[in-house]
Amino acid sequence: MPCQQEALVTANYPLTGDYWLVEIDSPEIAGSLRPGQFVNIRVSGGPSTFFRRPFSVYRVSADRTRLQVAYKLVGEGTRLMSTTLPAGARCDIIGPLGKGFSIPPRARRIAVVGRGIGIAALPTLMDEAVGQGIEVHGFISARDPANLVAADIFSEHGCSLITHTDTEQPGGLVTDHLSALLSQIPFDAFYVCGSNRLVRAVHRMALRTGVPAEAAMEQHMACGFGDCHGCVIEVNKDMLGTSKAFREVCHHGPVFNTWEVVDGRA
Amino acid sequence: MTDLSVRIGGLTLPNPVMPASGTFAEGLAQAIDLNRLGALVTKTITRELRAGNPLPRVAEVAGGMLNAIGIPSKGVAYFRDVTLPLYRGWSPPLVVSISAPTAEGFAELAAEISLPGVAAIEANISCPNIEEDGRAFAMKPASTAIVVRQLRAATALPLWVKLTPNTGEIAEVAKAAEAEGADALVCANTILAMAIDPHSFKPRLGNLLGGLSGPAIKPIVLRQLYQCARAVRLPIIGCGGIMTALDAVEYLLAGAVAVQIGTATFLDSAAMPNIIDGLDRFCDARGLASVSELTGAIRHEETDEEDLSWLSPPT
Repeated sequence: MPCQQEALVTANYPLTGDYWLVEIDSPEIAGSLRPGQFVNIRVSGGPSTFFRRPFSVYRVSADRTRLQVAYKLVGEGTRLMSTTLPAGARCDIIGPLGKGFSIPPRARRIAVVGRGIGIAALPTLMDEAVGQGIEVHGFISARDPANLVAADIFSEHGCSLITHTDTEQPGGLVTDHLSALLSQIPFDAFYVCGSNRLVRAVHRMALRTGVPAEAAMEQHMACGFGDCHGCVIEVNKDMLGTSKAFREVCHHGPVFNTWEVVDGRA
Repeated sequence: MTDLSVRIGGLTLPNPVMPASGTFAEGLAQAIDLNRLGALVTKTITRELRAGNPLPRVAEVAGGMLNAIGIPSKGVAYFRDVTLPLYRGWSPPLVVSISAPTAEGFAELAAEISLPGVAAIEANISCPNIEEDGRAFAMKPASTAIVVRQLRAATALPLWVKLTPNTGEIAEVAKAAEAEGADALVCANTILAMAIDPHSFKPRLGNLLGGLSGPAIKPIVLRQLYQCARAVRLPIIGCGGIMTALDAVEYLLAGAVAVQIGTATFLDSAAMPNIIDGLDRFCDARGLASVSELTGAIRHEETDEEDLSWLSPPT
């Protein structure tokens, strides 16, 4: 059950590159959050910041009392988050919301793929998987090395990590590296977030290997509850892509099977 | 303890606060006790299956939001077999919002959904997102009269008619609905609007045009409700930008008997119960036995009440 509360902000500081990190004390939300679920934060003070802002949760503290949100300074809303929510402030937050990632039973190794702010959806999954004794292989990409958010979490867990940046390796995708490893490493599942190109590339690998793949999606949201039908994306209703339907990202997602969100022709 | 119950035509509601159509679905039961509400109002149902509008469907603007959802509808059979049985699990009266492209279509749909468990029909003759260029029946008295006449003949259920603010003659539209047998009016729907992203040069809604809601529209719709209240004897339900109990009080003073809450729930899922509690406290503090005493209680005359008299202009 999601809960709405005025939770205490315990920290809010620049993380790396364009990213900031806000930490919020909420045993209610942190305690029940599953990897891939999101929270909806109210940002006030701006003339045109009317909606709440949905964010994936970056990490949950080991005692599950606090949660962290990594956010990229993009517009007025995220700039206000960096200035109006200092440690000690109260943050109007709703969560956990939506449907998160699923890890197949008996999975032994998984690949997680992210780009830009999409990487921020992966650490909770990584923490959960490592906790289950699953081997996690990371593939992350960003515009430049400073924006490779979460690289430190991969090393903290001793997970393998391949990075790809536009400035250092122009051309190609981070998934090229994953593709090259498919014949050597038998993955049991793929997870991807942050770029439609990466979602398509991961989906092709899932088809090739017969392994399930999930993608965390984004959309502008008005309510976050499934009430307004505002945050829909068009999805395939079957794996052949013969019929399509609109589905709300907020409660059918944000995590979908890649076959749902990738056009059948991909 | 104030008597919060209100009468709307033949229907008595436990309190005057209900969701605005389209902003409410059973998902909200995860966050609040739906049995606290004055009524439940469904999303608009159409006979045809509708997928809804292209993306993006929502955008935020100063003081409000734009939507062009496009009334996704799973049709009448789904409503009858799935939605209606589900809503029978809650105690507030169920108001079913309907829409159709023609007056005949409205009448047929009203007859089809006049089912046990349905307490009233809200005819959405005002959605700006269905017809081309935001047109709607409720923009003109003549087209309003035609559709309300057919609806009245088609159902014995209480008939609420939802007006559009996108007209220069809302009082005449209200009178037309009253003359053709409406039991109540809902004033109003969203205001036809648009927004363009100055960076990408693209419209911010996939549908180009959409409906503006939220606090930005409250003074406009409040004025329109006041104009309707002066023109008709029908009970009127206020709907437009209500975020707090005091916003609701304003609508009641202007002549509303009840209010609908929409956009506020998107920001605060407990907005409706909070407004109910706030109305109760407001009436207590003012020594009102019943919330209905506020309806139309706007003061035009000079007053000697201590806190208000200095505001009165000299006569």
